[in-house]
Amino acid sequence: MMMFFYKRIWFINWLPAGLLLMTSLGCSTGYQLSKSNRKEYVIDQKTGADSTVIKAYLPYKAKMEAEMSQVIGHSAILMSKKSSDTLPESLLSNFFADAVMLEAKKVDPSIDFGIPSTKGGLRVDLPEGNVTVSNIFELMPFENEVVVYQLSGQQVRELLDFVAATNGQPVTGLQLKIKDRKLITAKVNGQEIDPAKTYRVLTSDYIGGGGDKVPVFKDIKDRKSLGLKIRDALMGYVREMEAQGKLLSSSLDGRIVKL
Amino acid sequence: MDKCHKFKESRRNFIRQATGAALGFGISGATGFDARAALKDGGLVKLTILHTNDTHSRVEPFPMDGSKYQGLGGAARRAALIGRIRAEEQHVLLLDAGDIFQGTPYFNLYGGEVEMKLMTAMGYDAATMGNHDFDNGLEGFHKQLPHAGFPILCTNYDFSDTLMKGATLPYQVFRKGGMRIGVFGIGIELKGLVADVNFGATQYLDPLKTANKTADLLRNELDCDLVVCLSHLGYSYENKKVSDQVLAAGNRNIDLIIGGHTHTFMEVPEDVKNLAGGVTTINQAGFAGINLGRIDYYFEKKRRSHVKFAAPYLITNG
Repeated sequence: MMMFFYKRIWFINWLPAGLLLMTSLGCSTGYQLSKSNRKEYVIDQKTGADSTVIKAYLPYKAKMEAEMSQVIGHSAILMSKKSSDTLPESLLSNFFADAVMLEAKKVDPSIDFGIPSTKGGLRVDLPEGNVTVSNIFELMPFENEVVVYQLSGQQVRELLDFVAATNGQPVTGLQLKIKDRKLITAKVNGQEIDPAKTYRVLTSDYIGGGGDKVPVFKDIKDRKSLGLKIRDALMGYVREMEAQGKLLSSSLDGRIVKL
Repeated sequence: MDKCHKFKESRRNFIRQATGAALGFGISGATGFDARAALKDGGLVKLTILHTNDTHSRVEPFPMDGSKYQGLGGAARRAALIGRIRAEEQHVLLLDAGDIFQGTPYFNLYGGEVEMKLMTAMGYDAATMGNHDFDNGLEGFHKQLPHAGFPILCTNYDFSDTLMKGATLPYQVFRKGGMRIGVFGIGIELKGLVADVNFGATQYLDPLKTANKTADLLRNELDCDLVVCLSHLGYSYENKKVSDQVLAAGNRNIDLIIGGHTHTFMEVPEDVKNLAGGVTTINQAGFAGINLGRIDYYFEKKRRSHVKFAAPYLITNG
């Protein structure tokens, strides 16, 4: 533990002023700081626990654990967060992007393509077998919302240059070919990008605000919030697959190909 | 005049308290501080400031999953520690520098209710707002205020045109052992950090100007013996963005900045020379309630016949 001691000097020359103040107002509390020290406590199991606080949160904890451990779907495969072997795509990236897109299209069918997160934004693996509410919370712990931006053909190119330069990101609705982190060809739903056309692009409010250094979106005023959280979109997709008796799955389908 | 009466009463209390305090902590001569002389001159009184920042809904300790902070933190342990300190110390202020919300499913499921209730149970005296406290929008924060038995201090967020109007205070003056401790809150710019819809019509006021105006008011008009700023600006940045370091160097009347946002674990607090030539101390206690910060201030009755000299820092492993 570090502590320190010192004296403060800045009252020294206040003597006459202080006297004046005391006599004229007569109401100063009359204390002066002379010394301070400091300590920091690490809080661990040796600290001991206040049982009244535990009692206060236990009902919340019990309800939360019941909710979080609920199985809402089943996955055929492990989708790993680690993507270095498979970049520019990953099983988790493709699953995440497609799931969010499918749910968002129920609200707004006009969306052309999407980049709902960066790969760094995918926090943990999605396991094989039981998928719980907790798994989805851990995958997407933030309260980010789905937002749809209107981009020009030129702005779409700039965005996809970023995807190429960063060796792939979770995308959906695109077919990209990249070489040496440069974009070689790009198609939106099988069509060449038309510079004269505007595109409706899904992302999160976080990415849209320039989060994770994603360019383009933050300068664009034309945006629409769908009132759908990214996590709720994922949750909705998993529940729907389960209701249809389908297993969750993903594949490296060549949406981003490295030449 | 009423104020003066209160002062006299508290002064009597002060003398009693100071006697116990001075005998209790036994300051050595090596610190250059003569407790007996201080006593003779009218005594001294100790104020203990305990602080957290960026607790991020960490109600329970980090799980034992091999992660860096496994097994650390936890509200029940923090409460036990605070309880022990309160039993030892007469004048304690417990403060938080924001980002109470977000980080565990407790927030996702209950929206901050648990965090506010536990902070109230621990006896927090005040907190300011961090950017993540806007994560469920102004509505989301406002909804949790009935669970917070302590004031939320925000000086540079103008909520006048929002439903948060009147829900926060710019500052609060706490009276402890006859001393007046002024505490105010300074927040970070929300634009770009928080989704627009989540802060709505909140006006962001210049942090440096607002902090100076408030600290000057607390010191000069409201006679505060100590001025504390709860800041969610962040400790330091490579660019020119306003940080605690910028605020420390650019203010006149802040004694202590309790920082947050950058989750900085500071080995020792940093003392910065401020515009008035005095010292503004910055301290931050990491995040997630892994640590509890503590700073003790000793106050002496103003001496009229002595000139005090500065003593250098003495940093020990105590």
